[in-house]
Parts: sequence; C-alpha cells; structure tokens
Amino acid sequence: MFDQRIIQAYKQAPWRVQLQWIGALLLVLVVGMLIAGVYLYLSAEATAAGTQIRELELEREDLQIRIADLSTQLAFLRSASFMQSRAETLGYKNASQGDIVYIPVPGYSGRQVIFLAPPPGNDPVDASIIKPAYKESLWEWLYQGTFDLIESRGLKP
Amino acid sequence: MNSTNSRLRFVGVIFLIVGLAIIFQIIRVQNSPQAKEMISYLEKTYNQEVRVIKPERGNIYDRWGNLLAGNTEVYEVGIAPSQVVNSDTVAQDLSSILGLDFSEIKKIARSYIEESNEQYMVVVDFVSADKVRLLENKLAEYEKAAKPKKGSAPSLNGVHWVAHLRRSYPENTLAANILGFYNYYDRVDGRGILGLEEQYNNLLAGTATRVVLPMNPTAIQEIPSVPPGSSLILTIDRGIQAATERIAQKAQEDSGAESVTILVMDPETGEMLAMATTPAFNPNEYQKYGEVFPQGSHYNRAISQLYEPGSVFKVLTMAAALDSGAVTPETTFVDTGAIEVGGLWIYNWDRGAWGPQDMTGCMQHSLNVCLAWTATEMGPTTFYNYIQTFGLGKYTGIDLAGEQVYPLSLPGDQNWYPINLGTNAFGQGVAATPIQMITAIAAVANDGKMMAPHVVKAYIQDGHQYDISPRLIRQVITPDTAHTLTEMLANSLENEASVALVEGYRVSGKTGTAEIPGPGGYESSVTNASFVGWGPTDDPKFIVYIWLEKPTSSPWGSVVAAPVFSEVVSELTVLMKLPPDSVRQQMAQP
Repeated sequence: MFDQRIIQAYKQAPWRVQLQWIGALLLVLVVGMLIAGVYLYLSAEATAAGTQIRELELEREDLQIRIADLSTQLAFLRSASFMQSRAETLGYKNASQGDIVYIPVPGYSGRQVIFLAPPPGNDPVDASIIKPAYKESLWEWLYQGTFDLIESRGLKP
Repeated sequence: MNSTNSRLRFVGVIFLIVGLAIIFQIIRVQNSPQAKEMISYLEKTYNQEVRVIKPERGNIYDRWGNLLAGNTEVYEVGIAPSQVVNSDTVAQDLSSILGLDFSEIKKIARSYIEESNEQYMVVVDFVSADKVRLLENKLAEYEKAAKPKKGSAPSLNGVHWVAHLRRSYPENTLAANILGFYNYYDRVDGRGILGLEEQYNNLLAGTATRVVLPMNPTAIQEIPSVPPGSSLILTIDRGIQAATERIAQKAQEDSGAESVTILVMDPETGEMLAMATTPAFNPNEYQKYGEVFPQGSHYNRAISQLYEPGSVFKVLTMAAALDSGAVTPETTFVDTGAIEVGGLWIYNWDRGAWGPQDMTGCMQHSLNVCLAWTATEMGPTTFYNYIQTFGLGKYTGIDLAGEQVYPLSLPGDQNWYPINLGTNAFGQGVAATPIQMITAIAAVANDGKMMAPHVVKAYIQDGHQYDISPRLIRQVITPDTAHTLTEMLANSLENEASVALVEGYRVSGKTGTAEIPGPGGYESSVTNASFVGWGPTDDPKFIVYIWLEKPTSSPWGSVVAAPVFSEVVSELTVLMKLPPDSVRQQMAQP
C-alpha cells in the first residue's frame, strides 16, 4: 500500500505523459517534414537544372548547325566566281605578269599552306561540362562530404 | 458482452486477413515477371530516349583554307495531327510558303479528327532556313493576334520543323571532278560517291554514336560531344583550279573538242595544284548526274579515261633511250621517212623524210620513225623495263576514287606483236590516263625522281592537323638524263618557235597528236591532241598536261593544245608568284 502511494506520488500525471507523447510525435513529424521539404526542394532544383541542361544541349546542337551553315554561307560569298564578279564590278582586272613587281624579302619563304588546327601533341584537357554536384543524390553528397571532411582532417574513415 | 467482443474480434480478424491478402497480392503482382517486363518496356518507352548522333560530315578545304565542301542548315517539316488546332491555317501556310499541295496538307492536318490518326508525318524535307524563318514569323504573328469571337484562332500548332545538315559545295562546279559528291537526299544510307567524297568517305563521315538519354530530368546525363568527321586540306589551289577550268572551257569552245582536261602538278612533291576537266558539274545538284554524264562517259577523265597519248609519250621513250645509253643528244639519225619494225612499216606524221637529225631534232619534229628506231636500238626488254618503271600499266595510287588502268602489253603476251615496239615508242597502241602520263613525265622534271600524285595535303582529326608527306615512288632515270632531256625539250620548243612558249619563262615541252582506234582501225580524222610541259626549265616548279579529245578546229596538238599550255602557264606564273627567269636569276645573285 505504501509502495503504491510512493509510486503514485512520483508518477507523471496522465495528461503529462500524453503531452510528452504528442510532443515526441510532433517532433518526429516536424523532422520528417523538414527532411521531406529539403528533399523536395533539392529534387525541384535538380529537375529545373536537368531541364535547363537539356535545353542548353539542344541549343548547343542548334548552334553547331548554325555555325556550320554560316561557314558555308560565308564560303558562298567568298567563292571564286562570286569574288571574280564582285572584283570586276568594282573595276578590278586580273593581274598579268607585266603588272607585277618582285621585291626580294630576306627570310620570306613564300605563302605557307593553311593550318586549321594545331599539330598532334597539344591535347586539350578533357573536361566534362556537367559538374558532379548535378548528378549525385543527397545521400551521395552527404557521404562524399563526410568522407572529404574526414580526409581533410587527416582521419581515417 | 462477451458475445459482442467475440464478433468484433472475428470481424477484425477477417479485415486483417483481407488486408494482408491485399498487401500480399500487391507485392506479388509488383514482383511478377510480367510486371517486371512491363516496367522495363515502359522505362524504355517513356523513361529514356535512344538517339543515334551522326557527326557533322567533315569539311574539305583547298590548300589556302578556302571551303570547297561544307554543310548547310536545312529543315524537316512534319505534322502531328493530334496537336493541330486549325487545319485551315496549317494547310494555307504550308502550301503558300513551302509550295505544298493545299488539299493534301489539309487531309493530313485533319486526319486525327477524321481517322484518329496520331502518327507524326513528315510532309517535306530539305527546306531552306529562309522558308522556315517565314514559318517562324507566321507563328509569332498568330501568338500575338487576338482570339476571334467565333471559330478557332489561326494557329500553326501541330506543325514541327527540325533542323539538320545537308552537304553543300559553296564553289558550285569548281573542282567537282576532284570532290565527287554526297547523296544527301538519302538521310539514312547517304555516302560519298566518286572523287574525294568516296575515297575518304569513312574519314569524312566520322563515327555515329548511340546514346541512351533518360527522360527523367532529375537523372541528368550529359549528351556526349560527338566529334565531327575529319576534314581534308587539299593540295589544290583554288585560284589555279578556277583559272584552268576557265581555260579548259574556253579551249573546248574554241577547238570544238568533246572534252578538255588540264592537270597542273608540282613535280617535286607530286602535289596536284589543279585538275580541270569538262563538262562542268554542280555537285549541289547531283541528281542531274545522268544528264551531264550520259552512259559511258567519265566523271573525272583525268584519272579514269584511258586514251592513246601519242607523241607526248616520246618523252618517256627518249628518256629511256638516253638513260640506257642507246643514244645521246648528239646521235644522228638519218630519217628516210619510213622504218620497218616487226615486218610492218612505220611512217612519220606527215609521211615525209626529214633527213639527218640529232635527237633534239627528232623530238622537235616529232619524228615517229626516229623514235621507233631508238626503241629498236634499246631492244624490247630495256624499252619495256623503262616503260614499266615509269608506271605505265599500273595505278598511280592517286587518292581519288575511280582511277582506271589499262594493262601494258609486254613481249610474250598474246596481244603483243613486234610492231608494238615501234608504235609504242611514239604513244600509239598503248593506253594511259592523263594522271599516269603526268606522273611519269614529272620524273623528268624532278631529277628523275617519280613522286606519287596526291590531292590531300593534310587532314584534321579530333582537333589536330596531320600532314601527309610527299612519297617518292622511285628514281626512274638519272638526274643527268633528266636535265639533258629537259634541256633538249626546251631547245626544241625554242627552235620551233612554238606557240607553247611563254614570254619571260624558259619551258620544256612536247606536243602530241594521236589517232584514235575505231572498229575499222585508226581514224586520222579524229585525234587526241595533247601537250606536256614544265618550267622554269632550270628549276621546274610546275608541270602542265593538256588533253583535248577529238578537236574539230584542227587535229594537231601543236595547233590546239600548245596555245592552251601557254595560256595556262601565263596565269600560273602570276598565281604561283613565280618571277620571270631574268628577275629570279637576278634575285638569286648575292
């Protein structure tokens, strides 16, 4: 009987216990919602970035086509027949041997064949356009971040 | 109370069992092989896109970087019937801007409403960018316009245009015989045909890459950057090519020839500076190939049409005779106007007797009898050894598709007769292409060294330029023989006061007139007129080969081909910036 009294005296009131439970549940709920919110936010960001990347890739393809087209258009405008007719319209005529004066230029070895690209050996660095941050999951990011932190402090994982 | 509790428990158990059964069934269905198959199918269909990325076809440039073959932007236009809002606008705009049939387009545009057709249909391809810009303007106009109170608003919804590249040749007909063409209308199996486009098709085309791209935007995957096909830098000089093509066209008109071929080569390296042939052909309109080149005619006569070259061949015979020691420039031959070889008589071109002649005189007057005699002096073994060393009867290996060769008849062959020794000596009874002839004779202009002819100087692959080095085929004759013959041929032109001569420049050369074999034997009324020449004589920088097929104004090479050579060299010296001999020698003095 005495024991029961002692227990009753120190026992939490039922409404307190209920409040504690409700508080704990709310805490779990809030933490869960926070995690879900962060997850949703990151997913939305990743989706937006992914969509933007797709658009940029399509734009890059369009630009490559446009560049090729403009180079060809320029070549049409600089074609031999077009330039000849333009020059004639402007009053020029083809030079004959009598029109030319030759002057010796020391060290000049004549016109050189075009170089449109560097010779082999000068390899550019092969860099990926999309950074890893855009491709890794939250978990991978956390894991990698933790790993990097541990490594930077000189600790073994 | 107990009874109520029991009932409630019983109902609870039933619900529990049913619930568990549902959960079990959900798990079972989701993990069944059929479900896995369906998920896999849906993933493939809706979650990813399989794309085959065809690289941009490589460009072709001349030696100075002028674009000869590139790519231009064109569009494929199609209709997605299920997306069409206003079929009248679609039909009206596509017919007025793209010239398509109104009723046909309207039928396609209405096919979803009338036949539930959801299939995307390509209505036209290879539409120019200008026309697509007009469609884009219309689209913008409709988007800005206010909606009408009645009926559907004008709309191009459902019309799609997708850009792609089409092969294009900005110089049109220039160097078409060298470039070949690409059958761009075949977007699946398109390939290079003839010339460089065929020879270097794999290099120009690059490697197509198949990529699987996720449709889920969160699963980002980089589209690999597919490198374009390799580009080619040619040895061809656009200016020289344009000049030779213009001269060839004019020569054809003036002489009434069936075709004219002009080759210009750097004898030191074997680089082709120009290769002009008629008729002209525009590879942008390759579908007209059959009209320009009827059955039996050659796309590039310079490498694929065999003909009996005639007296230009005497350069090779004399080179062999001098090099073997059978004759010297001073050797005297008394020309009686005829010589018997293998039991048959050979006569001069004019049937005349030219009396005592040294070897320069034999070349100057192009005496068949004299050259047949030099061949007999050498004997068939020596003569044909030299002719084979000069590459006759073999491919030159020029880097163009379509080279032809005719096997050389040699002693012991069924189709070789002793008379061949005499006739072959002056270029009859032997067939060669202009490229074989210029390659062989260029050895005389290059200290006896025969260089491999080529048109590609370098190629660009994966961002790097790789140069192709000139290739020596072999030393054919000694440098002394080459210099002696070059001098003899310069003197013979000067003695003759040939129309091939060019003021200010000493050149060496030889005319050629060959009868054409027909069904009833050789016909003297139709000829192949040729000229081969190189210069400057003391340090040759170019060799030019001219061939007029069946000229009608005159049958003689000295009349129709020699002036063409002079005209070519006059332009060549300006374009190559070669100073006249006197200026050059003055500049060379310290």
